[in-house]
Amino acid sequence: MTNQEARKILALFRPGSADEKDPSFDEARQLAKTDPELASWFATHCESYLILRPKFQSIPVPPGLKEQILSERKIYRPPFQKYWRPLLAMAAAVAVLAGITVGLWPFHSETDYTAYRKRMIKTAMGPYSMDLNATNAAQILAFLKTSNAPDNYALSSGLKTAALVGCAVSTWQGNPVSMICFKTGRPMAPGDQSDLWLFVASRKTVSNAPASSAPVFARVNKATTATWSDDHNTYVLAAVGDEVLLRKYLQ
Amino acid sequence: MPGPEFETVVASYYEPLYRFAMSLTRSEADACDLAQQTFYMWATKGHQLREASKVKSWLFTTLYRAFLESRRTLTRFPHFELSEADSDLPVIQPEAARQLDAAQALEALEHMDGVYRAPVALFYLEDCSYQEIADILEVPIGTVKSRMARGLAQLKHIFAGSNPSPKQPRGPID
Repeated sequence: MTNQEARKILALFRPGSADEKDPSFDEARQLAKTDPELASWFATHCESYLILRPKFQSIPVPPGLKEQILSERKIYRPPFQKYWRPLLAMAAAVAVLAGITVGLWPFHSETDYTAYRKRMIKTAMGPYSMDLNATNAAQILAFLKTSNAPDNYALSSGLKTAALVGCAVSTWQGNPVSMICFKTGRPMAPGDQSDLWLFVASRKTVSNAPASSAPVFARVNKATTATWSDDHNTYVLAAVGDEVLLRKYLQ
Repeated sequence: MPGPEFETVVASYYEPLYRFAMSLTRSEADACDLAQQTFYMWATKGHQLREASKVKSWLFTTLYRAFLESRRTLTRFPHFELSEADSDLPVIQPEAARQLDAAQALEALEHMDGVYRAPVALFYLEDCSYQEIADILEVPIGTVKSRMARGLAQLKHIFAGSNPSPKQPRGPID
């Protein structure tokens, strides 16, 4: 690690915070102990942070806000809380009847899986930066391994030959999710680097996901997704486009 | 949820939530509304949270979502390119920091690009781990760090009185 790389890491270090125990700062902090110039820079950074932090934390809170919040709760207290027992019983009865009627028992309106898929698509469609820019599959695999993200994934032939751009590690309910970014070769908006994404999560962390290795297609906002599972992982492949485009990468 | 528990949660978090809201909106009325809306949602949906340790993240995420929702009707945020390395490593000089008060710190946040404001506010306001900040903002950790690095660089220029006319348009937030 160079002095410059260490600075880049240490610029985000907050003394006296959770960062003290964050191992991602360890190497750079060690280097600061042996490099006087870096040590001086780091000391200045820490001093400034400790001066600025209380200034931000002293933003005055309007008097009476707490009481206002507590009183609003009484005003807004929904009738549900008064009649929750009969309402709950009615809701349960309706749910059972609906489940039996349409043969979907047990059913899930917003399963963990659909929420997971929605969240991953939001990540892909929104502004994000890759943790690693790389066109080499081995580099990406090594990065995901060191990040404790799923690295035991199996790629289809189409994905193996797709142009890699990089990867990022996202999370789902506290569990790491590997986000592998590709480009299809289609024109992209200025600033975009990737237009095809593969999300890999450990199968046990995403409940109700399609269990089969046959992809299940779905439209999520502007994206089309294909979801499948193998023994270890659940995969979501996504792109702005149609099913035909995704199928090309699933062969 | 029983009343006392609700009151405990309010007592523990209304101040940091208000400050976070204030750093995002710069309007006392809007910040109060966001804090109240967040606790209202906690009162109605908080019982669904299974892990007590995630109350703080839940509240901050809910407030941030409510803020984004309120802004989404005003403007559609553009796609920011944030992956390139920032060569300007942020070091805010202690002398410059000492001269500031809370109002000036808040004003500095107002002058930042919207996309950097929330990460930088959390950088100073809260003792959240980077993982918690990523959960609150619902973006990968790498994106949090990238935005913070750029936001801090921008803050340095603002404190120095030379706001480097942002490359991206101000206002839109994610």
